[in-house]
Amino acid sequence: MAALPRRIIKETQRLMQEPVPGISAVPDESNARYFHVIVTGPEDSPFEGGLFKLELFLPEDYPMSAPKVRFITKIYHPNIDRLGRICLDILKDKWSPALQIRTVLLSIQALLSAPNPDDPLANDVAELWKVNEAEAIRNAKEWTQRYAMEDN
Amino acid sequence: MGVCLCKDKVEDNNFSNEDEDTDRYTYMVRPNGGQNGNGNSCNNNNQRLSDRVDQLVKETLDVIASIVDDEPETPNSMLLLHDITDSIKGWLCLVKSLIRVVPLDHPLGASVIGLLLDDSPLPSKESVIEVAEMIESNTTIPCERNLCVILGCLAEKLLGPCSIAILTETTLAYLLKNISSNEVAKDVKLFSLIAIEKFAQTAENKSLIKKKLASYPEHPLLTLEKYVNETEDYTMRQIGFCAKWSLDNYFLIENRKYSYQTVNVDGINVMLNTKDVSEYLKISEDGLEARCDSYSFESVRSTFSVKSGAWYYECLIITSGVMQIGWAQKESHFLSSDGYGIGDDAYSVSFDGCRKLIWYNAKSTAINLPQWKPGSICGCYIDLDAKEVIFSLDGKESFVFKDCFTDKNVDLGFFPAASYMSFQQCRFNFGAEPFKFPPNRPFNNFNEVAVLKPQDKIILPRHLYLEELRKLSVTDDSCSLCFDSLATIRLKPCGHKGFCSNCTTMLSNCPICRADIAHTEEMIQETTNTNQNASS
Repeated sequence: MAALPRRIIKETQRLMQEPVPGISAVPDESNARYFHVIVTGPEDSPFEGGLFKLELFLPEDYPMSAPKVRFITKIYHPNIDRLGRICLDILKDKWSPALQIRTVLLSIQALLSAPNPDDPLANDVAELWKVNEAEAIRNAKEWTQRYAMEDN
Repeated sequence: MGVCLCKDKVEDNNFSNEDEDTDRYTYMVRPNGGQNGNGNSCNNNNQRLSDRVDQLVKETLDVIASIVDDEPETPNSMLLLHDITDSIKGWLCLVKSLIRVVPLDHPLGASVIGLLLDDSPLPSKESVIEVAEMIESNTTIPCERNLCVILGCLAEKLLGPCSIAILTETTLAYLLKNISSNEVAKDVKLFSLIAIEKFAQTAENKSLIKKKLASYPEHPLLTLEKYVNETEDYTMRQIGFCAKWSLDNYFLIENRKYSYQTVNVDGINVMLNTKDVSEYLKISEDGLEARCDSYSFESVRSTFSVKSGAWYYECLIITSGVMQIGWAQKESHFLSSDGYGIGDDAYSVSFDGCRKLIWYNAKSTAINLPQWKPGSICGCYIDLDAKEVIFSLDGKESFVFKDCFTDKNVDLGFFPAASYMSFQQCRFNFGAEPFKFPPNRPFNNFNEVAVLKPQDKIILPRHLYLEELRKLSVTDDSCSLCFDSLATIRLKPCGHKGFCSNCTTMLSNCPICRADIAHTEEMIQETTNTNQNASS
């Protein structure tokens, strides 16, 4: 528990007071830099109906460097690999300290609505997404059913 | 270096080279030796897979134990394991192999189990339930300690529904039996206790465990807590430390005072600094003992730094694994999740008595001291005038190390500091107690020179500390990036404002529009900022 920057305290307060629809981000009881995140699968996407757990960690030099985020729930998506790592420009070279936990999570939600197989992280998933989108979407739905539904 | 092998780097090559991928796959299923072509081929395949995983686990253990490099490549054995553990069968094979293969006396054994599980693809709920079922089945488990380490890892990694799913009635009964029975081996007891703590990170589990613990005639944690100062048996001491930590942080008992309320810190003038530590390190209520149970490489600096003269402190080594103990300047960063710690940058130097290395600037030098073990005394001596650092183990001194001094850095001051790999623990003596092996040369005593205000000696349990923090408020005219200082700077040429001078120095592009920053302009203070200090 290094001295916690006001920036993090302020963001946390706002996340609690004005939550983002479809996203829950709760700071860990014992680590204010670690957030337990749940993102609801967006409507009209193959992830609809799923609840996806993620972990979000604010590194020591946050906000000068991006939060570290990864999926805990298995997900079939061309930009998310089997370790749950996410290929998203704002988490890498397009990070800006003006972005926030809130904006990062909204971007991830948007990524679920709009998979981008041309900038893949999970190669085999992206490949199928390109050559046979219908089958890829079926797989994504099946995985959502299997790994991200309430009773799982 | 810690054990995190820079996960980000894996991304660069993991999915790009298809040939290599195929190679790895064929390597994995290739019959080992090709000696038997008969019999049930399915069984043979299973046998081969499990032999192969065993071998890869052993290789990983060897590689990690011998890392002396600043930016190690992810070992090939780990990449191969990645592929295998992608399937449920492969993942279970890894778990079984870890239980079977990792030697109990290997100083990095428990750490490597955590590392391999953390680096494997996410297990599904079906997989973790199978692990829980290993306990239910009556088959004898070869190394129960390893099973308990694995349960803890899974509980931590799979916070929430999966963690609840593994903590079946049988699993919980098993863990509780381990911590409360005298028949159980001490290392099993220790890692069961740690697993219980990690399961309690999921709220539903926590209330369940709390209730079960309270139903014992004598609360098991209160019994174990008594071993916290054990000086003969260092496994029991670790158990005591973890029990006490759990009682202060997770399983609060009515009428039990927090440890910080009962400890006497009158004679202690230097502590490990709870405001200068990475997130997961556990620090005792007297500020002198620390322990890491997470999978990151956790670091801490002390409260007092020195700029001139000669100084000495000692550490009682409680666990024999990787710790990097030494000296760090304020400028040294704790990049715990990337595996960097004390000795892994140009502003710190450390002794690692497990791998017998001195670390400076993320480069290691072999040191002429034996390997440390529980009960060893690690001595750290620094002479800032002669620009010398000497480490010692049980009084035997290392050669003089001078590389860590530059012309400028001495004025910045050096703090005693340390980094911990998972499941490691040591206790500092800054001079409040007599030294066991004082160096045969003049030195100053930290504890006699330093002063610590009474309010700075209070080490709160985390939930209380975070409650305090959240009461802070900020004003509207503060910097939009840090909220710490006033926003006084305008960026040119884009003209965006709302940043303080400190944040601005760390920017090369505008955070709002990404335009290059040619120069910055101090804005004239508006007359309304009468509440400049209202938030401090």
